[in-house]
Amino acid sequence: MAAVLSFKRVCKRYPNGVCALNDVSFEVLSGEFVSVIGPSGSGKSTLLRAANALIPISSGSVYAGGERISDLRGSRLRSARRGIGMIFQNYNLVYQLSVLQNTLHGRLGYMGALSALLGLYSESDKIAALELLDELGLADFAYSRASDLSGGQKQRVGIARAVMQEPRLLLCDEPIASLDPSSSKTIMELLRSLAKKRGIACIVNLHQLDAARRYSDRIIGLSHGRIVFDGTPQMLDAAATERIYGTACENLMTGGSDVPENSATLP
Amino acid sequence: MSDLQYPLSSGSFFFSRRKRIRIRCKERRPAVPLFMCAVAVLTLLSFWYLDIDWIRLLSRTPDIGLIFWKLGHLSTNELSIVLASLLQTIAIAVLALLYSMLLGICFGMLAARNVLRLPVLSVLTQAFFSFLRAVPTPVWVLLMLVCFGMGPEAGVAGLCVHTTAFFTKAFAQSFESIPEETLEALEAAGASRVSVFFNAVLPASFSQLVAWCGMRLEVNFSECAILGMVGAGGVGYVIATSMQGYAYGTAGVAILLVFLTAYACERLFVMIKRLFRA
Amino acid sequence: MSRKIPLLSPDLRRLYALFLGAVLLLFVIATALTGFTPALFFGQSGEIWKFLSEDFLPPRLPESGRIQVIAEAFLTTLAMAMASTTAAALLAFVMALFGSERISPYPKAARFVRGFATFLRNIPTLVWAFILFSSLGIGTGVGFTALLITSFAFMTRAFIETMEDVSSDCVESLLAAGASFPERVVHAVLPAGLSGFISWYLYCIEVNIRASTIVGMVGGGGIGLVLFSYIKTFHYGIACSIILMVAAMVIIVDQISGRIRKEILK
Repeated sequence: MAAVLSFKRVCKRYPNGVCALNDVSFEVLSGEFVSVIGPSGSGKSTLLRAANALIPISSGSVYAGGERISDLRGSRLRSARRGIGMIFQNYNLVYQLSVLQNTLHGRLGYMGALSALLGLYSESDKIAALELLDELGLADFAYSRASDLSGGQKQRVGIARAVMQEPRLLLCDEPIASLDPSSSKTIMELLRSLAKKRGIACIVNLHQLDAARRYSDRIIGLSHGRIVFDGTPQMLDAAATERIYGTACENLMTGGSDVPENSATLP
Repeated sequence: MSDLQYPLSSGSFFFSRRKRIRIRCKERRPAVPLFMCAVAVLTLLSFWYLDIDWIRLLSRTPDIGLIFWKLGHLSTNELSIVLASLLQTIAIAVLALLYSMLLGICFGMLAARNVLRLPVLSVLTQAFFSFLRAVPTPVWVLLMLVCFGMGPEAGVAGLCVHTTAFFTKAFAQSFESIPEETLEALEAAGASRVSVFFNAVLPASFSQLVAWCGMRLEVNFSECAILGMVGAGGVGYVIATSMQGYAYGTAGVAILLVFLTAYACERLFVMIKRLFRA
Repeated sequence: MSRKIPLLSPDLRRLYALFLGAVLLLFVIATALTGFTPALFFGQSGEIWKFLSEDFLPPRLPESGRIQVIAEAFLTTLAMAMASTTAAALLAFVMALFGSERISPYPKAARFVRGFATFLRNIPTLVWAFILFSSLGIGTGVGFTALLITSFAFMTRAFIETMEDVSSDCVESLLAAGASFPERVVHAVLPAGLSGFISWYLYCIEVNIRASTIVGMVGGGGIGLVLFSYIKTFHYGIACSIILMVAAMVIIVDQISGRIRKEILK
């Protein structure tokens, strides 16, 4: 299996001296579902934004789709980015536009300059978008304003927009952090099933340990910008958790029991 | 995909006459495009009516650079006069602000609907002050000049009129944003309307009042620099007379000082705002 | 005030005392510098009353021949405000795109754009008018330019703030989708910020209606110039009726823009 994303000795130091990523190396294989966990400020968000060069890195290199994405500029960077979808904690929709328009934003990277500017999406794109919205259970909302949706629905639109890019890789920045438990479950299940069906690799930043154990093929633990754990959910035992969060398991709210027996991945 | 109850194949809803799929919201609000069209039409009409001699204007544009070049040759000969007039301008702005703040609190109390609960009085006060507010400050200053003669006194008085009118509206708004329950609690304790105002409404809205004052000081300073130009003393007078007398060096110094003071005011205000937010 | 038991903590009390002291000090210095006291009103109340009752009130109508001139002057003032605000809004929108670090394609240049706008903004409108009059001569064109410059600078700052408040999130999402800068502007910045931009535009119209009267006074033409000349020639009765009309114009414009704002922000 080919790697869709690889980090090689990546460091990121912010101008204020904070070292958000410190010598980070890993590879994500095609179709793999990876969770990234770690305390706030451990560099999860930076890691994700370095993967599609939203944040320039200080040293090392990031390869995506065979290209060294950290070197790309202008239109080559844009065409590399359209192969990587991104989902945000705050959904980042344009709330004044319709759900369908927001979904079609995923196609902008593929369109000619003029038609993209005028929003002249092709009919096949529109049909694909409607089908995708239907798959996500949003068919009735295609023509609603994005601001009228509930949190879980907004996040589904966010997912639809990312999937419309026909990406090899999805970056999810705490997709369920602003959602209630039931919407969170829906979103995680949708995310996993969509990704598995289309063979899209996923990197998901999570604060919820139980969700990470349940849905991922592999878990990466970050602490102070370093990878301190990289393995299957079964391998994430109490000692590893303590290494990541710097505190004993009893002090964490993991949701559900702490023993890794319920860590069996979904069917 | 097409075999499910999905409305795509069933047709008419998604396909408009031209067989194109609509992508915009179902319920569109006509207000925004209508407004844009109206603005475009009005603007074109305005340009047509103004009938500006663009060629002359553009051909003389390089002269602006020339003026700045001349203004840039700062001359410190008259520095003491410029500084004194700048100080006077600041004094006018501050004094007008302080008087207006007191007046604004009094009239704001009358104008706010939830303090004295005399609807007629608040409507009358608001109407009167919105008239005062609608007339530009320099007009008031011109009239005060007639009453008081040339000098900073007319500046303070003229500036006070507009600032008081502004504060009355702003303060009344702040007072009205105090939740009704707070007032009820004190009234239930048997406090009179006026004592409710001084013990609950005023302290609760104090930080907002300070914010309004900070904002207004900035405005007052730049208005004040203007006022001098119509004869109310201060740095505006120095700028106007030295520009008319081709003493560009002095005018340059004065404009630079006005700029620096205004900039300092703005930074100060931003800092205060950040303090309040923190 | 309770006499023995303090209501505030000592620290807070010292802070308030300091604040009050500073205000009082400012008050005394400012009074000394300007020589203004409220007593002035009482001292000269006789003259003020005489001016108000005999010269200023009641408002008088100008000779019928001048009425058309006055009407045209009003139209000029309105047109000047309208034209300059719209032109400034368009320019400011383009400028603001480059003034926000999170939206501009050249984030490093954003500081300079903002600095330029700050420079333009902190020179008062009338000073601009004077600078322009001494380089371009007098006339409505120059009044238009003076208003254009200050409202351009003001709206640049306001638009930058609106963009950063409203649209930096969705700009990031389009950036991640591989959209180019113009696409990000059209599909994210514009729709997300539109109602904010319109609201600032309306505010600017309100300000410019007043400002164009003032700019008129020093040579920009329009109703300001007419009013100024009536005051200068001691026709206070006519000046009074013009002031009333100016007030009416401003109030009407404020009402209309308030109605539009409510309709659009709904």
